[in-house]
Amino acid sequence: MIQNFLNMSGYGLFVWGSFAITFIACGLLYYKTLKTLKKYERDFAKEINELSAERKKIVIENSKIASQVLSSSSKTI
Amino acid sequence: MFKILNLSNIFYWIEKLIGFINSIFFILLLVALSFALIFSPPDYLQGDSVRIMYVHVPSAWIGLASFSSIAILSIAHFIFKIKNIKLITKSIAPIGLMFTCLALVTGSIWGQPTWGTWWAWDARITSMLILALFYIGFISTHKFISDENKANKISSIIAIIGLINIPIIKYSVDWWNTLHQPASIKLTGESSIHSSMLMPLLLMFFVLILYCALIFLMKYKTEIIRIKKKNLKRT
Repeated sequence: MIQNFLNMSGYGLFVWGSFAITFIACGLLYYKTLKTLKKYERDFAKEINELSAERKKIVIENSKIASQVLSSSSKTI
Repeated sequence: MFKILNLSNIFYWIEKLIGFINSIFFILLLVALSFALIFSPPDYLQGDSVRIMYVHVPSAWIGLASFSSIAILSIAHFIFKIKNIKLITKSIAPIGLMFTCLALVTGSIWGQPTWGTWWAWDARITSMLILALFYIGFISTHKFISDENKANKISSIIAIIGLINIPIIKYSVDWWNTLHQPASIKLTGESSIHSSMLMPLLLMFFVLILYCALIFLMKYKTEIIRIKKKNLKRT
């Protein structure tokens, strides 16, 4: 029964090949996108942390995004 | 109303949406794959090779829909000059390119057992290949032109010109004699596909749309951070 399922009445290579290519491509795009996002978050958090204490306070107070990125990056650390 | 369109609010909602999609995605993917690979019947003519359609057709739909959105948003960018629109189109383009290429590749894999050839220069396939080239042109302008305003302008022109190709792809099967069959699913009028095959097709489409939304949100979030980072350097 499993062999029949894998064989797909002779079209197994084509069917499984199509699904495999689709999911590999989707997985790679997801991985690359996530990696780029994390890199930007890390770099942004690093730049904020390098600011003077006073300047950092102003940036965090004025930018919700900066405070969110800082809090999420501190969670991952 | 415009407070919702503020980047900080958008950023907040992006985080929430990413979390939500991640929480339901794998369950829905399992359901859709079960229908596509197990529960749906083989076609009386094509046999089990019809299952390739469950990834091929949604990929083609997404490729077309993404480019249409990019082109319409590019027209809006020309008229209203809203910078946020370019962030959106830039985030959609790689998704559209990947699904257009997937439609071409899975179509080719389906063509071998069904038509006896991997490739044919028929109107539908050729116009899909041209769509992929428009995507590459659009993405390349942002990659290789350092002046952001110039890149935005050129990419918008590419998208608007590429819009001409969309109806050509859609109606190519009606206008020319092609190997492709006419559309089985119609928005207006009766579809010629049986519900036992329509169900897995729509489920796979829905899952892939969720995947696209996830990638789009992550890319959009990256673009927002990139802009904030740039602004931080300026001040």
